[in-house]
Amino acid sequence: MTASEQLLLAQQGFMAQVLDDDAPAPADWPADQNARLAAGMDVYRQNYRSAVVEAISSTYEQTQKWLDQGVVDGAFQRAAIHHVIAHPPAGWTIDDVGAGFETTCLQLFPDDRAVAELAWLEWAMLGASRAAEATPLTPESFAQATAEFGDEDWAALTLEFVPGIAARTLEHDLHAMWQALGSTPFERPPTALEIPRGCIVWREGERPTFLMVDAANVQALNAARTGMTYAEICVMLAGADADEQALQEAAMAAGAMLGQWLQESLIVGLNA
Amino acid sequence: MTSITPFGGFGLGLRKTHYSDFIEGQQPVDFLEVISENYMVDGGKALRVLEDVRAKHPIIIHGVSMSIGSAQGLDSDYLDALKRLEQRIAPLWVSDHLCWTRTSAHNSHDLLPLPLTRDALDVVCANIDRAQSHLGRPMLFENPSSYVTFPQDELTEWEFLSEMTRRTGCYLLLDVNNIYVSAQNHGFAADDYLAGLPLDRVRQIHLAGHTPRGERGDFIIDTHDRAVCDEVWALYAKARQMITHPVATMIERDDKIPPLGDLLAELEQARSFSDEALAGASA
Repeated sequence: MTASEQLLLAQQGFMAQVLDDDAPAPADWPADQNARLAAGMDVYRQNYRSAVVEAISSTYEQTQKWLDQGVVDGAFQRAAIHHVIAHPPAGWTIDDVGAGFETTCLQLFPDDRAVAELAWLEWAMLGASRAAEATPLTPESFAQATAEFGDEDWAALTLEFVPGIAARTLEHDLHAMWQALGSTPFERPPTALEIPRGCIVWREGERPTFLMVDAANVQALNAARTGMTYAEICVMLAGADADEQALQEAAMAAGAMLGQWLQESLIVGLNA
Repeated sequence: MTSITPFGGFGLGLRKTHYSDFIEGQQPVDFLEVISENYMVDGGKALRVLEDVRAKHPIIIHGVSMSIGSAQGLDSDYLDALKRLEQRIAPLWVSDHLCWTRTSAHNSHDLLPLPLTRDALDVVCANIDRAQSHLGRPMLFENPSSYVTFPQDELTEWEFLSEMTRRTGCYLLLDVNNIYVSAQNHGFAADDYLAGLPLDRVRQIHLAGHTPRGERGDFIIDTHDRAVCDEVWALYAKARQMITHPVATMIERDDKIPPLGDLLAELEQARSFSDEALAGASA
């Protein structure tokens, strides 16, 4: 075994001890120093735990508030510890410790799925907050760019969205939850939506923001993000076996969505 | 590899709570140090703030995740992201710690100790060569605080650092608080540590507070959550007497961060200790 391989093994053993109280101490630790070494190791273990739990807490401030004020005090801390035990961090940025916390919330709070949706929102907002800069198209610049478009150009149109944008359908009213979390005193609002809605998250200037929209809007936006053309999106919105009238209505709906995306400064480029 | 010209001055670590103080006002600091990883992003407010502050003050970028002691080598994505930041900010210098933080499977996000062996030295030097080559400039590495030593240690920490700088051409970020913490935890003399270092390679000094023995068990813990204590000021004065070239001194605070005015007052103390030490050295 090379020196580098020996060091690698030692580091893997040390890391195992940092992550897990029950991991065995290295065999070459002298017995007469074991208590001292174990106490030193405990400092590293505590440093690790406090750093990663604090990182999750920093990313999920609103989820923490929701859980601790609305459910059981300390619920967030327990969920964060559960998350790092189940998913010890691997990446170099400590922000990524919170990756997948939405799924952890879904597992730990299956009867309160609003928690997981709120966690999704905060994770998406973190992603938007550090995304690359881009200059969005204004409605005027878009109109100028498409002024000479014929039917074929419109049909082939694809869009590019601001970096860091995220969108999904939701079963809970994140807008009402967010407002309640910003109010004093905190009062838990009704959260369940009668029909699923959509949520779009992006960065407006320097501030991450979100908007609740129709579920179809999110479906179209996510399709456009994958490169689907404007014509294909219209067909998707019209549904299978759509007649001419349904196609016309879908085209109008797609037009309205496109107008909203432009108004909200979500589009940075187009290709036809 | 180019050299790093000594830069004398007194600075602080830029923390979020003080963003507006530095953007809106003119603060009496000679430089600011930022945690690299907080700005190794594609865009957003943090980068904009850094660029605004960069227009007023020289910047040092100080990392916590390079993992220069990793037996498996360095993370290429990390190096690329660090280089992008370095090119964007044009810092005075780039620094990290003599430690390791990760294996291929996990990252501790803590500065873990290396066995002070010749084999570990080979690994560290190879990694430093790669990092400096990737960045196209020499780096500074900081002496860590530690809570365990290894039975297989062959060198003292100052011997390890000396050999590391000799072999790689890197420079030192001397954390005086860390010397004090490790000396207390492991029972060596801080004076021996200072005397054994190649002080001509020191370009920056960190000063910070620590949690005293007894508050969190039997160790002194490097917590950066309070003011610099008298013993560390005394060690700083001693180091300042021994380092004859200009050096950048910085107060680090990462937890329980007070108003900027408190840190500026502490920085003024550093100026006074430094002035007195240098006057004493030349007398």
